[in-house]
Amino acid sequence: MRRLLVASLALLFAVGLGLVPPASAQTREETLIYSLQSDVDNWDPPNSVLREAIILGYHVFDHLAVRDLKTRRVIPNLATSWKAVDDTTWEVKLRQGVKFHDGTPFTAKDVKATFDRVLNPANKMTARGNHAKIKAVEIVDDHTVRFKTDGPYPLFVERLTAQVMQSDKVIREKGHEWMQENPIGTGPYKLVKWSRKQEHLLVRNDDYWGPKPAFKYVRIRIIPEKATEIAELLSGGVDIIKAVPPDQMDVINKSGGARTATSPILRTAMLQLDQAARSGPNPFTDVRVRRAANLAVDSDAIIKHVLNGLGDRVATGINPMAFGWDANLKPYKQDIAQAKKLLADAGFPNGVDITFNEGPPIVEPAIQQTNDAIVADMTKAGFRVKRNYIGDNTVLVARIKDGKGGPMFNWSWGYYSVFDADAILYDVFKCGENYSYYCNPALDDLISQGRSTLDAKRRAEIYVKAQKLLFDDAAYLYKWGLRGVWGISNRVEYQAPADEVDRMFTVTPRKK
Amino acid sequence: MKRYALRQIAQLAVVIVGISMLAFAILHVIGDPVTLLLPQNAGKEEYARYYKLLGLDQPIYVQYWKFASRAVQGDFGKSWYTDTPAFKLVMERMPPTLYLTTAGLGMALLISLPLGIVAALKRHSFVDNLCTMGAVMGQAMPIFWLGIMLIIIFAVRLKALPASGYGTWQHFLMPAFTLGAFLAPITMRLVRSGVIEVMNMEYIKTARAKGVAEWRVVVKHAFRNACIPVITVLGLQFGQLLGGAIVTETVFAWPGVATLTVDSIRNQDFPVVQCAVVLLALIIVSINFVVDMIVGYIDPRIRVGA
Amino acid sequence: MGAGEVALEGPDATAGRPAAARRSLRRLWRLKWGVAAAVVMLLIVLVTLAAPWLAPFSPVEVDIRHRLGPPAWMQGGTTEHWLGTDQIGRDLLSRMIYGGRVSLLIGVAAVLVSSTIGVLLGLSAGYFGAKTDWIIMTLVNVMLTFPFVLLALAVIAVLGPSLLNMVIVLGVADWPLYARVIRAETLAIRERDFITAGRALGMSHLRIVFRQILPNLVSVIVVIATLQVARVIILESFLSFLGLGVQPPTPAWGNMLGEGRVYMLNSWWIAAFPGAAIFVTTLVINLMGNALRDWLDPHMKL
Repeated sequence: MRRLLVASLALLFAVGLGLVPPASAQTREETLIYSLQSDVDNWDPPNSVLREAIILGYHVFDHLAVRDLKTRRVIPNLATSWKAVDDTTWEVKLRQGVKFHDGTPFTAKDVKATFDRVLNPANKMTARGNHAKIKAVEIVDDHTVRFKTDGPYPLFVERLTAQVMQSDKVIREKGHEWMQENPIGTGPYKLVKWSRKQEHLLVRNDDYWGPKPAFKYVRIRIIPEKATEIAELLSGGVDIIKAVPPDQMDVINKSGGARTATSPILRTAMLQLDQAARSGPNPFTDVRVRRAANLAVDSDAIIKHVLNGLGDRVATGINPMAFGWDANLKPYKQDIAQAKKLLADAGFPNGVDITFNEGPPIVEPAIQQTNDAIVADMTKAGFRVKRNYIGDNTVLVARIKDGKGGPMFNWSWGYYSVFDADAILYDVFKCGENYSYYCNPALDDLISQGRSTLDAKRRAEIYVKAQKLLFDDAAYLYKWGLRGVWGISNRVEYQAPADEVDRMFTVTPRKK
Repeated sequence: MKRYALRQIAQLAVVIVGISMLAFAILHVIGDPVTLLLPQNAGKEEYARYYKLLGLDQPIYVQYWKFASRAVQGDFGKSWYTDTPAFKLVMERMPPTLYLTTAGLGMALLISLPLGIVAALKRHSFVDNLCTMGAVMGQAMPIFWLGIMLIIIFAVRLKALPASGYGTWQHFLMPAFTLGAFLAPITMRLVRSGVIEVMNMEYIKTARAKGVAEWRVVVKHAFRNACIPVITVLGLQFGQLLGGAIVTETVFAWPGVATLTVDSIRNQDFPVVQCAVVLLALIIVSINFVVDMIVGYIDPRIRVGA
Repeated sequence: MGAGEVALEGPDATAGRPAAARRSLRRLWRLKWGVAAAVVMLLIVLVTLAAPWLAPFSPVEVDIRHRLGPPAWMQGGTTEHWLGTDQIGRDLLSRMIYGGRVSLLIGVAAVLVSSTIGVLLGLSAGYFGAKTDWIIMTLVNVMLTFPFVLLALAVIAVLGPSLLNMVIVLGVADWPLYARVIRAETLAIRERDFITAGRALGMSHLRIVFRQILPNLVSVIVVIATLQVARVIILESFLSFLGLGVQPPTPAWGNMLGEGRVYMLNSWWIAAFPGAAIFVTTLVINLMGNALRDWLDPHMKL
């Protein structure tokens, strides 16, 4: 009987400890470890709206054009050159001798297949809005393609940085479902293994056409708990983390094993207000209530005291780094008395009840603390805010996309890393778009004007008008342009990217 | 023995069906999944079409019957969120959770068995009071707090263990201890009361009277019989361990099924939740079955009594 | 067995008066920890009840200019904020006092819900037996086997984490424990003479159950309920960790601990004080519960 017990106990331990998966073969020395707080929904970047998908996409896929982070200008990548043949035609020359991970050469066919797939409305690809102006892609020869656009398309080149090149063969032979988990690109790394919500293991693509990355392996770990993520950085388990809370910077810098780096990033944070009543009738359909909300919050003080200065106050959703930003438009200043008066005028002399769907601290630094401060300010003006925390970013995004954002919710927009006002206006402010809770035909008109004007000066004027309109109409509760904070291990060198796309292939070991 | 086994199996089947029914009912009563699946401008006809498509237009018992008849064939439908079969998603994440809970259980026994026995033998002594105090303190400690403290001490300060993740045996230590500490207090009390009860029994007194050495009495008679209630309760505790696993997995970035279930609940991804609930129930119930069999084998009285 | 055991287990009825007094004194001494715990608990309850008079600030008053202020006795601390301020400059002492109110309220209310359900079902199962017993006990087994925390989460995630929802969900999740114990006790009492006599006299079932059986179970119920309050307080912190607990800015010890966890490496006081409060309170409640059990019925099996 005792033997039986001992045996069963031994069995328990055997199951617990014996069946542990084998340790990975790569050494720590040749491995770079990066962590994300939440995982991608798939490995098919044009079918995902998540920042994580864009970041992962950069490692395994290539784009026709990329941004030079130093000059912030768009430079050739898989394309070697481009020119506008006429108002509605762009001709792009492609790089020769590039191979996909499965060995097939990269040609014009792949470019056409990629865009055809994204543009076909039946495929319901998330990235379609980015390229809606493209009417057709024509193959001229193996390494030349022509893009036909619907009217003049000034953002064409910018948008090339937002579309990964996928393989014609894979699209045809393997199909959509397979592509969700199996990326075949031309990029500097290949995916070895994806353990969902656990980690991605990438190995260097030794046939890469460009500069070879310094580290042979990249492990991208998913660590949902921020406290754990910071502990991993401090204990040397992870080399690079992003979205470090400003309050934790001194902990990292004093640790001796890691340091922080900050950079303004192309992302504006706001609280979207449901002006369009997508999630049902709510007080924010009244412009006075929206203005009151903007007047209630002292964003300057929040930036200074809560974010330790890591934020750039904006008058609307347009980021100071984006083309078209109007430096002369002054943001709302806190004025509680005026806010109260506006609420009273709108029929809420005794205050108004608001539900606030809050997001997790994944993209926005110190989001909880700033939310606390914002809610405290709004309460002073008479908003009775009922807070509802949504802990999973993918869930928040899905709900917002489906029109379930509620009257007020946390939102920040990273422009798909396109440094242009249009990249936020179209997706977040235009009537009927997935992530827009605002609807105003006058603005829609300005957006389409901006989209079809090639002259930069004219476009800038259009966007000044658009910003004035958005400011006066207080479309959303405007907050600030974000500054990113990275935590970087002292064993590596890394330049924090302004477009928020972490590029592990640029990381090098630190010289001793 | 065979009749006993059959009776147990019948009872367990009832429990599984009960769990799946409860889960099904709760999910379907509290939320309308279609509102999350359809664009908000969808009309009444679209809703009706979708209800029909998902079979939600039928009475709930018909829906349950359909769900159950597909489920027994291993078909739990596709995740509404990632479009992957729910069964595949759940099975991918099941092993880490099972390893974690087993290791946690092992850790709990490692702590609670010796302490419980000593406390029982030295009843009301200083050692006993210390153990009781320790148990109460263990219960008073929120599990995520303990986990983060361990990480700060052993990973950040001492750099002795990996802070989080999954892979080697070192990765097991802190999560297993965290989870073990969650279970140990209850187990210790059970061991203690079990041993005390047995030590008062006639046959122990007889053994002592016969001059059998004290350690032999303890090891051979008392411990052995005290094990029966402990094993039984441990079977039941496995379910509670899964509750603790939710927090442990989150803190230690452990890729288990408990966090998957919580994420899917937040997502209202019913196929995944249902699949996870049913499979977990199956595992828990099977463990309890094995436990019942072992106990029934050891102690024939239980076979008759139950 | 120690010598002290005899006093506990000796038959009281045969003892003389002075001996009885001495014995109860000795019993009280044995329960010294329980008594001390009860005093501490009383103090905690009084402090939280007096929150509006004791708290120096409003618990939700934000002052972002004085964030992360350390406790008064540390360098940089001020006597304005005795326990320092939190991540958005709220006074930690005030939040602790008000937070205790919320935590204890949830604990007590959830226990009221779970004990009511559990006792009623346990009584019916034990008293009526047969089919009623089978149905209720199957339900109990189902709930005890499976981690219903998961489904409690589901309910809160969908219905929203209001105080009422939390109390109901935590209450409903915890009833089986009462039901199991009460059923066993009822089964034992049912066969006793006075019940059989009552039935022979034609008393209604309702009267028998509530007038004759229930009074005998009060001590068991009180002990379980006391211990469960501690469990619910811990569960609330668990829900807060997952973002499903008491919603900010309302303070509760659990969500304060959850919010402070990122600050454990620098501004440790944000998490340490609510953590200590939870620890002390549950400790004290457990000690009290154990003492109550020993005092009311040393043979109680819990």
